[in-house]
Amino acid sequence: MIDATPYGRMLGMKVMVAAPGTAALMLPAGPALEGRPDFLYGGVIASLLEMACLALVAQELGDVRRRIKPINMSLDFLRGGLMADSYAEARIIRMGKHIANVDAVCWQDDREKPIASGRVHLLLG
Amino acid sequence: MEDGDDPFERLKNLPPRGHHAMLGIHHVDDGPDWAELACPFNPAFFIDRATELVSSGPVVSLIDAAAGAAIIARTRQWRPMATLDLRVDYLRPAHAGRPLHARATCYHMTHKVAFTRCDVHDGDPEDPIAFATASFFYTAES
Repeated sequence: MIDATPYGRMLGMKVMVAAPGTAALMLPAGPALEGRPDFLYGGVIASLLEMACLALVAQELGDVRRRIKPINMSLDFLRGGLMADSYAEARIIRMGKHIANVDAVCWQDDREKPIASGRVHLLLG
Repeated sequence: MEDGDDPFERLKNLPPRGHHAMLGIHHVDDGPDWAELACPFNPAFFIDRATELVSSGPVVSLIDAAAGAAIIARTRQWRPMATLDLRVDYLRPAHAGRPLHARATCYHMTHKVAFTRCDVHDGDPEDPIAFATASFFYTAES
């Protein structure tokens, strides 16, 4: 699972229980994830979104031997992320034979007030 | 202007804190509208230790940092700003064991918005690992 990868552990990501066909991650805030004072680092929010997308595609493929590589990623930052628990949930837009298109949204205390959204293309090996 | 008064010189010499400190992000070089930052390889960057696949997470964080630094290199002003959007093309996986370098240029400014582009490599600028564009906006008046 994604929270057991070295990078997921360095940041402190945790896999959440999610509805079928989705994947959700939680990231507790900590001083090592801070950007400008009192705000979560933008790159950390980006990583959380991207890891949620990777986790979902790995889960849907159900085959640990298949390699999944990001081709590109597009992120919109909607609100400043505070130093608080952050959540990201991903859903598949299209799962092709070679390419998956996945989007994800990140929020903190209120799911209706997302702090960022992202979309990735993943190459399926 | 004395070095001590220049916001960019101050930024360069600031001890790293927060996520910059965790990744080991440091200043490498700069020009009138660009900045190059780097971070050393860390085995914690792996997303898969067995295949030595490096996560794109540190790459994005380094891009965000370099783009912000490029804006300060160009404006020589330290105003609160936030990342508006960021798009990355991952050209190839980073090689395990090599430091990551990001050179960002702030190519256009308006009153409120700064536009940047960024090249990322892991030792050879001619063999890039990623290309990104990002825009930022100032969250407060100067």
